[in-house]
Amino acid sequence: MRVWLAPLVLIASLCLLAAWLPTMTPFFSWVEPGSDNLIYKRDSFLTLLQSHIWLVLVSAAIGTLVAVSAGIFVTRPFGREFLPLVSQIASIGQTVPPVAVLALAVPLMGFGEKPTLFALVLYGLLPILRNTLAGLNGINPAVLESAKGMGMSSVQVLLKVELPLAGRVILAGIRTSVTINIATAAIGSTIGARTLGDPVIAGLVNGNTAYVLQGAILIGLLALATDSLFEAVERTWARAFSA
Amino acid sequence: MPLITTLPNPVKSNRVVQALALAALGCVWLLDLGVVQPNRIVSGTGYGLYASTGWLGTGAVISLLVVVFVLATRPAQKRFQVVAVVLTVALMTLPLLLEVLARRQLPEDSGYARIGVGAGFWSLAFLLALMLLETLGQLKASRRFQLSTVLLIVAGWWLCASREGLSSLALIREYSNRSDQFFQALTVHLSLSLGAVAISAMLAFALAVAMVKRERMRRPLLGLVSFMQTIPSLALFGLLIAPLGALSDAFPFLQTLGIRGIGWAPALLALIAYSLLPMVRNTYVALMEVPESVVDAGRGMGMNERQIFRQVKLPLALPVIIEGVRITTIQAIGLTAVAALIGAGGFGTFIFQGLGQAAMDLVLLGALPTVFLALAADAILSALKFQETSK
Repeated sequence: MRVWLAPLVLIASLCLLAAWLPTMTPFFSWVEPGSDNLIYKRDSFLTLLQSHIWLVLVSAAIGTLVAVSAGIFVTRPFGREFLPLVSQIASIGQTVPPVAVLALAVPLMGFGEKPTLFALVLYGLLPILRNTLAGLNGINPAVLESAKGMGMSSVQVLLKVELPLAGRVILAGIRTSVTINIATAAIGSTIGARTLGDPVIAGLVNGNTAYVLQGAILIGLLALATDSLFEAVERTWARAFSA
Repeated sequence: MPLITTLPNPVKSNRVVQALALAALGCVWLLDLGVVQPNRIVSGTGYGLYASTGWLGTGAVISLLVVVFVLATRPAQKRFQVVAVVLTVALMTLPLLLEVLARRQLPEDSGYARIGVGAGFWSLAFLLALMLLETLGQLKASRRFQLSTVLLIVAGWWLCASREGLSSLALIREYSNRSDQFFQALTVHLSLSLGAVAISAMLAFALAVAMVKRERMRRPLLGLVSFMQTIPSLALFGLLIAPLGALSDAFPFLQTLGIRGIGWAPALLALIAYSLLPMVRNTYVALMEVPESVVDAGRGMGMNERQIFRQVKLPLALPVIIEGVRITTIQAIGLTAVAALIGAGGFGTFIFQGLGQAAMDLVLLGALPTVFLALAADAILSALKFQETSK
């Protein structure tokens, strides 16, 4: 249970801070002396936090679904022809900077949440896909043979042997993808998505360091909380399967 | 039965190229090849393949795809060689489609009118590139061959872009309006990202050597650098503004050096912080993984510790260290684009200016070179690593 302590503390402080930042004017008047606009007010921080998390969650869900099914498809006998190309796409695609994917989504889809979500899904797919392939290909063939020898059908082998064994690697891929997407979603506010990047961008445009700090602190805390949550899940997973 | 499944599957037909060719046919049928815009902000009217290029262009594209589809049905070596040549030539001359569109549809009297590249063109280029990639993979082409193919295609696009007929392409218009700024952005972008990589390489090397010598420092150091990697770029750039601003207020001579809350200074700091994790991890792993027997052999030859480090450990560790440099460089090139938000300059300036003005081609002028730089860095450093590994 101890592994869950850090994520719980971080999540609690994230929520509390999002709620209490507006009351911390004395601190921000020290950061930005002589200004009346100390607290970002266009949206409440909780709304921004919620919409940021929502973007990342939806893109992670779609990305995981698509990437894992694609990974399964190209490692089956009927899809194996596509394996070299798909794994090459996954590795070359990760060379493209996420901010470029975000920027290129705008000419195609315009401004707003839609292109942001599109870019997040597209880019978030790649680490999950790469890890799914690595996980499924890394399984000892002898294990698969013995599963078949026990009379399992290929669907049973997939569900009861391959996916559980590859699960940790796939989870690590999802973690990478979510970490990148939290950062990319923050930049998404430059193309009109409502995220915690809004105060940062507004602060940079107006030269208001207080706004920048408010956004930056919350984004950083969100990233840390998510990361420690994954850490806890990974440890629990490892313990469940090594026992 | 087990014996057969472990043998490599002889491929009967290549469905990959065929599937891609079908997808390309669908894309050119459904999506706009190009857009004619009356000026740089208005989105303009899209033209499909037939409307853009008439019978000749449409016929050429469709027959190309059909020929590739038919040739790929049987995976004979000879056929794939033909497919590779056909695809390379097609990719090289692809921009000519846009030139035909400009000649046919662009109003002649309007000086502001321009041709935007449509989704159909991009998808066609992308799918053709994937087909070429797959074909080269089937042919087991060497690295050098692959690289020269890419260079041929780049040269083809360069030649097409410098022709008079494509001067009305919106991307080229944006470029020629600010060619000075473009090269300035290139210089800033390269010097920021490569400077950060160079500095962090030295730092990381020192840290990794320290970690090898003192096992106790490993956990806290790795913890610290991976903590920094977790913080999103926008947040780290933002968090550095306040302390650096306060520093430069307190010490005015820093301002004369250009160290302020915004600008290149926080960008460089943040880039270095991000570069540390991949660099430290790879250097450490590389140094630790040198087999003990090799080190012993060196000792047996009478080498001292310094000689062993320089002549045995370092050369053996080099490929993995270069891999770290590769990951770091790609990442730094992308993050430098984000750093434009805090006024660091580089190609990100075009991206965010373009987003602000809703001028999509300015966004492209920033985003495409960023992607190109990242891909080029990847190619160069992969080649270097390959060379070091095969030594």
